[in-house]
Amino acid sequence: MSDRSDSGSHVRIVFEDVVQRFRVIRERPDTLREAFAHLFRNRTSYYNFEALKGVSFSIGDGEVVGIVGRNGSGKSTILKIMAGVYRPTAGTVKVSGKVAALIELGAGFHAELTGRENTLINGLLLGLSKREIRERERQITDFAELGDFIDSPIKQYSSGMYMRLAFAIATEVDPDILLIDEILAVGDAAFQQKCMARIDDFRRRGKTIIFVSHDAVSVRKICQRVLLIDEGRVVLDGPSDQVVARYEELSQQPIGA
Amino acid sequence: MWQLVRETWQNRELIWALAMKELHVRYKRSALGFLWALLNPLLMMIIYTMVFSTMMQTSIPHYSIFLISALLPWTFFSQALSYSVESIVGNADLLKKVRVAKSIFPTAAVLSNIINFFYSMVPLILLLIVLRFPFHWTWFYFVVPFASLVLFTLGCSFVFAIANVFFRDMAHILQVILQAWFFMCPIVYSFDIIPGRYRPLFRLNPLLYPLNGFRLAIYYGMLPTPQSVVASLAGGLVTLWLGYSLFRRYEDTLVFYV
Repeated sequence: MSDRSDSGSHVRIVFEDVVQRFRVIRERPDTLREAFAHLFRNRTSYYNFEALKGVSFSIGDGEVVGIVGRNGSGKSTILKIMAGVYRPTAGTVKVSGKVAALIELGAGFHAELTGRENTLINGLLLGLSKREIRERERQITDFAELGDFIDSPIKQYSSGMYMRLAFAIATEVDPDILLIDEILAVGDAAFQQKCMARIDDFRRRGKTIIFVSHDAVSVRKICQRVLLIDEGRVVLDGPSDQVVARYEELSQQPIGA
Repeated sequence: MWQLVRETWQNRELIWALAMKELHVRYKRSALGFLWALLNPLLMMIIYTMVFSTMMQTSIPHYSIFLISALLPWTFFSQALSYSVESIVGNADLLKKVRVAKSIFPTAAVLSNIINFFYSMVPLILLLIVLRFPFHWTWFYFVVPFASLVLFTLGCSFVFAIANVFFRDMAHILQVILQAWFFMCPIVYSFDIIPGRYRPLFRLNPLLYPLNGFRLAIYYGMLPTPQSVVASLAGGLVTLWLGYSLFRRYEDTLVFYV
């Protein structure tokens, strides 16, 4: 992880001809019995599904880039490759800097454990050290408005508390690159506002933000530049007004048309 | 292998937290909580002792200590495997969301059972005191067979954790394997009762050496021969190396199968 601060010209993320293939198995041999059955019948029971078919782009330091596209277009796959969850089948990916992924909040949360215990595990998973988490516990609790609930098992939390806690931990990582996937779709208006304020704060501090959403309004509000993805390809890459307009046009068409 | 050491070191805080979480969750909602870690081996020992010393009239003196000295390390082994076989599949949610070294999950499962093992030593110590079993300095030697047992267990854990990703039957098969393996090891019986012509076969069992090491040190107050110590440590290391190599091969692709 490099952490150079020559912002502006410095490139944070480069995708070159990235292909992501998933082996989608029709009636996958989930058990040994099925595996034996397939062995003897000897026919190919899987097909390759290309979620990304050669995607190239580069994102500079401090850019706020939106990614839009219909369901199944490959947006989330791109985000997961950036986050390092998937290793692409082909092509090269370079990501420099510390990444925080708000892909699905609350990874590793366990219902029986308290907010404090979950904060520790979630924070460690996101790359903080134990000391850093202890230092930030106060801020996290405050942002999540948990109060004394921090020491109750999170199964007793309201969904709002749960989301606020998860969001608070994820953004305490202080990343160079922030990946956001649809999180604003959940939570009430107050929570959304709070998240937007924090994202704004990241933007002002010159962090790189990748924002994936179906919601044309919030994309237009947050991003200067937008990538439109369709059927595993970058269809359009440009200023947000222009790309979002094209996206809305595309949304009218049925998928595969 | 270096990769494993590096990953484990880099993620030591996370592995520790995951192991603690596992123990926590295991005992949290029960009235007796952590006491179960002590009660479980004690109750098992009482059952086996009753069966073997009263019903089957075994002639082994202090049968309870004879038994528990090998039963505790066995319980560690079988529980560690039962937890790690599910460790990758059970954390599927997490693996698909965050970038994380996959090896930490089996490692954490084994670690939580190491901690549990040390708790379960308490009833053994109590028993030794209550029965006024003669003290042997060799008791402290148990760390050596335990070390080789941990290496062996970790190696097996990697194999079963990864196998279960591709064949979900593994979790069930494992239980059968463990059941058979239990009776293949001299735990409830002594190695001497095995007829001479079958002994070479039983000697192929890699668990024999660490389990015997425990029993020798605690029950008989003796030390194993240097050859058998080296053999069991080497066996543990080789198993770990093989298991982890297999795990590495599928590490990057398993996220698509969980």
